[in-house]
Amino acid sequence: MINHETELRLQAYLDGELSPGEAKAVEDFSNSDADARSLFEELKLTKSLLAENELEVRLPESRGFYWSKIQRQIEREEKGQASEQAETAATSWWLRFLAPAAALVALAVLVVVALRAPKGAEALVALDDSHEIETPLEETSSFSFQSEAAGMTVVWVDSHRE
Amino acid sequence: MSRKLDYPSAADDALVKAAQKADMQAFEELVARHRDKIYARAVSMMRNEEEAADLSQEAWVKAWQRLKQFQGEASFVTWMTRIIINLCLDQLRKQKRLRAESIEQLDEELGGVERQMPVVTPNPTERMERGELRQRIDEALGKLSCEHRTVLILHEFEELEYKEIAKRMQCSIGTVMSRLFYARRKIAALLAGWKREELR
Repeated sequence: MINHETELRLQAYLDGELSPGEAKAVEDFSNSDADARSLFEELKLTKSLLAENELEVRLPESRGFYWSKIQRQIEREEKGQASEQAETAATSWWLRFLAPAAALVALAVLVVVALRAPKGAEALVALDDSHEIETPLEETSSFSFQSEAAGMTVVWVDSHRE
Repeated sequence: MSRKLDYPSAADDALVKAAQKADMQAFEELVARHRDKIYARAVSMMRNEEEAADLSQEAWVKAWQRLKQFQGEASFVTWMTRIIINLCLDQLRKQKRLRAESIEQLDEELGGVERQMPVVTPNPTERMERGELRQRIDEALGKLSCEHRTVLILHEFEELEYKEIAKRMQCSIGTVMSRLFYARRKIAALLAGWKREELR
C-alpha cells in the first residue's frame, strides 16, 4: 500500500502541479507500481468525468424580471450612497461652522467670568499683565490661554478645521 | 458622433466598455448573456436555489459598482465568476459551513477515510446517458461536505491552481490537496456504488 504523501504526489502529477523533475519521478514510480498505477487511473477518470459533466442549471426567472430586480437594487444603493454623501457633507459643514463659534463663545464666557471675579478669588483667574490670551483671527483653528501666575497654558485646537 | 451599439450582436468587450461609461442597457445585455452561468456556480456552491438567486443578483450589483476596476486581464465572465465565488465563500463562512483547517484534524482522527476506499476500476459510468451521468455527479457532489465540494468545484470546474484555491479558502496548500484527494475518491466510490446497485 502506498503512503498518503505518495498518493498526494500522484494527484499533483495528474493536476500538473509538479516541477518537470518531480513529475518524471512520479511517472516512473506509477509505471512500476501496480497500486499507484490503478489509483492514478481512478483519479484521472474522476477528473475527466467531472470536467465534462457539470450539471447545467438555468435561472428560473425571466430576463425582464431578473433585470428589474438588479436595476432596482443598483438604483437603491446609488440613492443611498448619494444621500449618505450629502449627509456627510452637511455634517462636516456644520462642524466647520459650529466648532469655531463654540470656541469663541467659550472664550467670551471665560473672559467675562475672569473680569467679574472678585479680587483674591483663587479659583478664578483675573486678567492682568501676567495673563495672555492669543486668538489669531486669521488662524481661528487654535486659541491659547497663558497665565504666568497660575503657571499654566491652555491651548484649544479645532481639529475639524480643514 | 459615436455609432449606436447594437447590443445583441456586440461582443462582451464592447458591452463592458459601454457599461463602464454608465450604459445600463449594455450591462443588461451582459447580465442576460451570463446570468445562467453565474447562477449555476452559486447553486453548485450553496446547494440552495433561493440563496443562489439572491447571491447571483448581489454579484451583478457589485459588478456594476466595480465595473471601472475591470481592466480586461481575464474575460468578463471569468471576472464575474470570481465575484460570485467570493460572495458564496463569504456566505458559507458566515453560516459557518466552511471551516479553514479544522476538517483536516477530523480527517486525521478518522484515519484518512479516503485511504480505506478500494480503487474503482473499470469506469462505473460506462453506458450511462450523459444526462443521467450529470445528474449522478451532481448528487455525488451534494453528498460531499462543503469544504470538499468547494475545493472540487474550484479545481475541476473553475480550473484554479492549488495555490489560488488555498488563498481563497484561507487554508494551506496541503489542506487543499488532501481535500481534493478525498473528494475525488469519494465521488469515484459513490459512482461505483450506484453502478453496483443497478447491476443487482
